[in-house]
Amino acid sequence: MAEATPVVEMRNIKKSFAAVRALRGVDLVLHRNEVLGLVGDNAAGKSTLMKVLSGAYIPDEGEIFIEGKKAHITDPMDARRLGIEMVYQDFALANNLDVAANVFLGREAVRAQLGPIGVMDNRYMEQETQHLLDRLKIDISSVRLKVERLSGGQRQTVAIARATAFNAKVTIMDEPTAALSVAAIAKVLDLVRELKAQGCSIIVISHRLEDIYQVSDRMIVLRHGRKVCDTPVAGDIHEFNERVVAYIIGARDDFAEGAVD
Amino acid sequence: MSFIKDAQKILQQNIREYGMYIALFVIMVIFTITTDGLFISSRNISNLINQTGYIAVLAVGMTLVIVIRHIDLSVGFLAGFLGAIAAIALVFWHLPVYVAIPLVLALGVLAGLATAFLVAQMKIPAFVATLAGWLGYRGALQLATMGTGTIVIPDEVFNAISNGYIPDIPDIGILPGVHKLTLILGFLAIILFIIGAINDRKKTQAYNFEVLPMNMFILKLIFVSALVGYITWVLAGYQGLPWTAVVVLIVVLVYDFITSQTVLGRHIYAVGGNPEAAELSGISVKKLTYVVFASMGMLSALSGILFASRLRSATTMAGTLFELDAIAAAFVGGVSAAGGVGKVVGSLIGALVMASLTNGMNLMGIDISLQYIVRAVVLVAAVIFDVATRNRGK
Repeated sequence: MAEATPVVEMRNIKKSFAAVRALRGVDLVLHRNEVLGLVGDNAAGKSTLMKVLSGAYIPDEGEIFIEGKKAHITDPMDARRLGIEMVYQDFALANNLDVAANVFLGREAVRAQLGPIGVMDNRYMEQETQHLLDRLKIDISSVRLKVERLSGGQRQTVAIARATAFNAKVTIMDEPTAALSVAAIAKVLDLVRELKAQGCSIIVISHRLEDIYQVSDRMIVLRHGRKVCDTPVAGDIHEFNERVVAYIIGARDDFAEGAVD
Repeated sequence: MSFIKDAQKILQQNIREYGMYIALFVIMVIFTITTDGLFISSRNISNLINQTGYIAVLAVGMTLVIVIRHIDLSVGFLAGFLGAIAAIALVFWHLPVYVAIPLVLALGVLAGLATAFLVAQMKIPAFVATLAGWLGYRGALQLATMGTGTIVIPDEVFNAISNGYIPDIPDIGILPGVHKLTLILGFLAIILFIIGAINDRKKTQAYNFEVLPMNMFILKLIFVSALVGYITWVLAGYQGLPWTAVVVLIVVLVYDFITSQTVLGRHIYAVGGNPEAAELSGISVKKLTYVVFASMGMLSALSGILFASRLRSATTMAGTLFELDAIAAAFVGGVSAAGGVGKVVGSLIGALVMASLTNGMNLMGIDISLQYIVRAVVLVAAVIFDVATRNRGK
């Protein structure tokens, strides 16, 4: 291979739910330090594809390579061990816990072990969370604030920060700007750019084409469980929008021959 | 601007937290006045502690059960049944008390695991699974006591748990008639509390996190010290610290530590706040359900032991309605029915509030029917206060 090994390579992924063929052989490549937009109509297979990558679904067929090595992902913990983090659309955080507790949820820092029970190092976790928020330029007055007291945009930035906190190789964001105000969307998109500047590799699922246009280097369009477009994001936004919509509604298809399955 | 907002939020949180203490304080003052001081007498406070103990330990366990969005209706008759088993073990099996008690606690854990199996494994709603437990343990209690009726427990050590007091150091001529070890323990508790609070404050400041303003902090130290000091003095004036208080304090301290300082505790609250997020973070909701119900079973056993010890016998109706008293105590203590919110110390205060009401109204000679209505009003008022302050905080 002439190019550097991709961070993620998914080959010929197929997944059916009963009679519904949600994914009909999708290929996806994510390069290092790249932001990849993933778009498509409802039920096009975007979320299913990402759930396969993050271990929530096991594909019927196909292979996944992480940094060139074949990966066997059978549950979300496998994916996390491989450095794949997913930011879920609605249920990412525990609202009754504070920001630091959420960032470290499931991987708490322990300062002593009493048999099977670990005693947490709260101050370390709070400090590290503060550093993380500072590094990502996220403005939250205290890491001890409960998540239920944060705005929607702040919650989303915390959820994203949490996913990237532990040296994730790939961060998948499922509709990170859905149901947010305009100001909050800008903040989330700033965060995505900041993460890219710091070397992260990111896949963004979104309905909002202008978000994809603003932050992505490349874009994949899915339709009826197939990839119909794989193209760098460039050019004028209106022309871009028109072109993408044509792929989404099925007026254009770059992979038509490969579609026969 | 955000500083003022934070300050307000902290204040509101503290009002929520201190509201219960204030309520307990007010109730105690009212009963002290209406009973001409009888309520606050050494003897009655000892009695109140022994009355609260077996509900308080249930309320502690129930707190965690409600936090993970379940309920346990079986704990009352489970406590009654296991109390009967303790009596049978002591009287008929002639087991020594230090074997009988661990045995009964272990049976409690098993019962809790059985409940958890139904809830976590078979996916039966906890309300239904534990309603079945309520029926089953009630039957088991009647079976266990069928041949004998009330089983009188002659074991002095066992009966001391809910009727006895910690021993005193030998008389050295000062403070005659006062329980000196109780005073020493109370004094140590105050010193430890103050040192702990100051250390915690220093460390927190060193990491540049917010702390209470100095005047508020000193006020808190003085108030808590005065309260602990006064209760210590009152208890020392009678026979000293009841063993029940020792048991309950140990349970509350251990559970408070687990819930606030350990990974296990953090995960329990995470599951209560958002089970899906917890599961996706690699936390096993199923495993935690087992742990929480097992702990509830063990505390039910402890409650049964405390109650049987208090009556010096196992009765056919032991444990009746304990579950509802425990649930009420938890809600009065600030546990949220929606899950994820509530502290074990709050539930202890809730249990003390409810027991104080019963105790005080009994001393005043108020009719039992009115007592139920008053407790109903207090329960509703506590939950309204809780909901109102929570919404204001948002």
